Amino acid sequence: MRLLEVKNLKKIYTTRFGGNQVQALSNVSFSVEQGEYVAIMGESGSGKTTLLNILASLDKPTSGEVFLDGKNIVTIKDSDISAFRRDNLGFVFQDFNLLDTFSIQDNIFLPLVLAQKKFEEMNSRIKPLSQRLEIEELLQKFPYEVSGGQKQRAAVARALITEPKLVLADEPTGALDSKAAMNLLKIFSTINDLGQTILMVTHSVAAASHANRVLFIKDGEIYNQIYRGSMSNDDMYQKISFTLSILATGGENLE
Amino acid sequence: MNKFFYPKLALVNLKKNGNTYIPYILTCIGSIMAFYTIVSIQSNKGLDAMQGSESLKILLFLGIIVIGIFAVIFLFYTNSFLIKRRKKELGLYSILGMEKKHIARVLFYETLFVTVISLSLGLLGGVLIGKLMFLILLNLAHIKSPLAFKIDQMGLLYTTIVFLAIFGLTLLTNFLQVKLTNPIDLLRGGEHGEKEPKSSWLMTLIGVISLGIGYAIALSVQDPIEAILLFFVAVIFVIIGTYALFTAGSVTLLKCLKKNKKFYYQSRNFISVSGMIYRMKQNAVGLANICILSTMVLVTISTTVSLYIGQESMRRDYYPMDVSFIGAAETTDFSEIEKIVVAEKTSAKVETTNELSFDMSTFTAFQEGSHFLPDMVTDENLDLTYYNTISKITTVPLEDYNRMTNQNKTLAENEVMIFSAGENYQEQTVVFGENLFLVVEQLESVPMDFKKKLITGNSYYIIVNNEQMMSTIYTAMNANKDNADSESPAIHHAMMFNLSGSEDNINHFSKQVRASVSQLNPDIEIRNIYESLAELYGIFGGFLFLGVFLGSLFMMATVLIIYFKQISEGYEDSERFVIMQKVGMDKTEVKKTIGKQILMVFFLPLAGAIIHVAFAFPVITKMLAAFRLTNIPLILLCTLVGVVVYALVYTGVYLLTARSYYKMIH
Repeated sequence: MRLLEVKNLKKIYTTRFGGNQVQALSNVSFSVEQGEYVAIMGESGSGKTTLLNILASLDKPTSGEVFLDGKNIVTIKDSDISAFRRDNLGFVFQDFNLLDTFSIQDNIFLPLVLAQKKFEEMNSRIKPLSQRLEIEELLQKFPYEVSGGQKQRAAVARALITEPKLVLADEPTGALDSKAAMNLLKIFSTINDLGQTILMVTHSVAAASHANRVLFIKDGEIYNQIYRGSMSNDDMYQKISFTLSILATGGENLE
Repeated sequence: MNKFFYPKLALVNLKKNGNTYIPYILTCIGSIMAFYTIVSIQSNKGLDAMQGSESLKILLFLGIIVIGIFAVIFLFYTNSFLIKRRKKELGLYSILGMEKKHIARVLFYETLFVTVISLSLGLLGGVLIGKLMFLILLNLAHIKSPLAFKIDQMGLLYTTIVFLAIFGLTLLTNFLQVKLTNPIDLLRGGEHGEKEPKSSWLMTLIGVISLGIGYAIALSVQDPIEAILLFFVAVIFVIIGTYALFTAGSVTLLKCLKKNKKFYYQSRNFISVSGMIYRMKQNAVGLANICILSTMVLVTISTTVSLYIGQESMRRDYYPMDVSFIGAAETTDFSEIEKIVVAEKTSAKVETTNELSFDMSTFTAFQEGSHFLPDMVTDENLDLTYYNTISKITTVPLEDYNRMTNQNKTLAENEVMIFSAGENYQEQTVVFGENLFLVVEQLESVPMDFKKKLITGNSYYIIVNNEQMMSTIYTAMNANKDNADSESPAIHHAMMFNLSGSEDNINHFSKQVRASVSQLNPDIEIRNIYESLAELYGIFGGFLFLGVFLGSLFMMATVLIIYFKQISEGYEDSERFVIMQKVGMDKTEVKKTIGKQILMVFFLPLAGAIIHVAFAFPVITKMLAAFRLTNIPLILLCTLVGVVVYALVYTGVYLLTARSYYKMIH
């Protein structure tokens, strides 16, 4: 079953007085199946972040369509967009984006509180989740009292607690040391095994090598993609590195 | 390196930080203007010649000290706020290779520019507005004179010295800040994670108790003199209570709200409550300051305005008639005085009305039921209870009473009629020593006085059969006294009248009559409400002027504290709200939440101030009663108008800052 379908996405940024136009995405089409774990890779300026912002309904494309579970998110009214995002998407950011003023538990509750859920329900949801993410002990602590890896696990819990259709992760390992990063990637794999669809944007080959499929994006277009098939993580790593180097040298040859 | 590099950099810095530095410079200009104005008025030579200027000058001198202290505290506060905000910028300079002495040089130039700009504009503004203020003051104090208000060079000099010193000190503290911190700290500036504040039941309890004590004192004070003494005790308790409750009480309350899961985990409370906990931690002291400043402004303005407006009616209690001459009945030639009055009133073009002339005998006594006990208290032992219980008694012969009221009443030897200026006399008899009199009539009025609300001891007029009786009573009540009073004659004669005419003419008349009558017989007591009023206008006009002047200054301070608070919070909150939007919070929800928080932070101090004023009201009325201002509706009106005006200005500031705050968030 197709969960996400992206069709001919195009995004052109125009400077305020209409002088210069920058094409961030020229023509992007791809789809993600229910339960898939997809990584998107590309260099800085390749359009990854623009793509993610559009998928997250934080930004609108110049043209093209995005269907999430059959619903075109490009045409959702501004007034409904926050609720849509809250109900269908979960976010994990590079810099965690936890609020200092809330305890870890309250940070995780935040989207549910905004969705006006009952406290009993929130409480029953957080228990299994915090066990799985190994943050039960930290729930009453504050973000400034825990390590980076712990913060990111809390952020993952916040993304998952709404039981979203799709988790969008933007460089989730970017601010973590290698041990914490490996730990987080294991968690991603585990939740993916439990059926959670994940779309992750990353620079890191190690991170991408955990995904089922890796999309490479260059100059605003999908350049290539790799399916895991039966490959191990290490094979995946090799293959991604190889593709990336072709991506880099190939770019030079084209000029 | 170009020698203009540092000055240029300093100038650019000031411009870049305009949204905080412009208010700072405006504060400096405002303080300098205020300081110069009051110094130049105080040292104005022309003021010395005026009636009532003595007390006015003392008041103004106190004003100088208050404004000076205020300027120091306030400029330091804003400066430290500014430098905190700029730590990151200074850290960057140091990373880019500037040594601390170079940074110090930049800071020096910045301070130099601020000093030059604010001193020149402030002094210029002071010279311009000083004249206006001076005219306002003269008008309030009813001083009519062609006094020239010159540019006061000494004032300019003093102001310059004082503010150079203040700016120098702020520069020094800035140097210290830079010297004591390393670049990494500077770079990080204010943004280290903050601990959630702990709730402190002890502090909350202290706050509640001391606020309770303060309020209880305010409510339980009975008499005016006690009020004046206890007012400051109450003020101290209320201040302690305010600080404790704002700092600890608010956090404790919010924490309790947080513990209530049903309440806390609702979208409209969730963010506000947790946000407020942090906000209160950072701002509690600032908010308590605002609350206390606001209370001070309100109390100062409402009391000074009430005093100013009410002063004439206050005086009336002391001077039932405009002018009175009182002299020993046997030795004073009242026909001479009458001649002087007639001559002067025609030359000064004033009219006299309600002329009264009668014999009287006055003394003080302690009332116990119907018994009046001699006043044996010596001057050294005068205390609160004395003033609260002593009665002033004036006896008047029936003959004079009948003549003045055109009546034909009769009294037996042992009968009297009594008029009480305060509450009615309750007894059937009056006893002075061995002499017992029957009260045959409770008079509703007497020609020379009227019913009024007396806060301290009562005042009785007793009409007796004849002057023989008056002497007897007087002797009975002064028999055991061996001070100077007993040597004065028992019976005096009084001549009283009211005046009508223009204020200038009346003042001229009063002066001339006093001069001539004193020359004729220096022992005559002359009581003239207009002379007293001239003095009072000096005092209460000065009070009002200072009250409004300081009130506006405190208000400026309040406004600036609020403005700076909002700006600094705007920076922090903008990040927070970006995150919330990412997690799925609506823009309109964000706006609503922000609005709610600002509203609470903003109006908490105002609400506190209004409650304080409400509780202070009983004490204020009692204190004003000590000045004989007993017109409670008037005081209430002045207070209400003060509160409303203040709340309006406050709301205006709120709307302005809320706007720039929203801009910062988006």
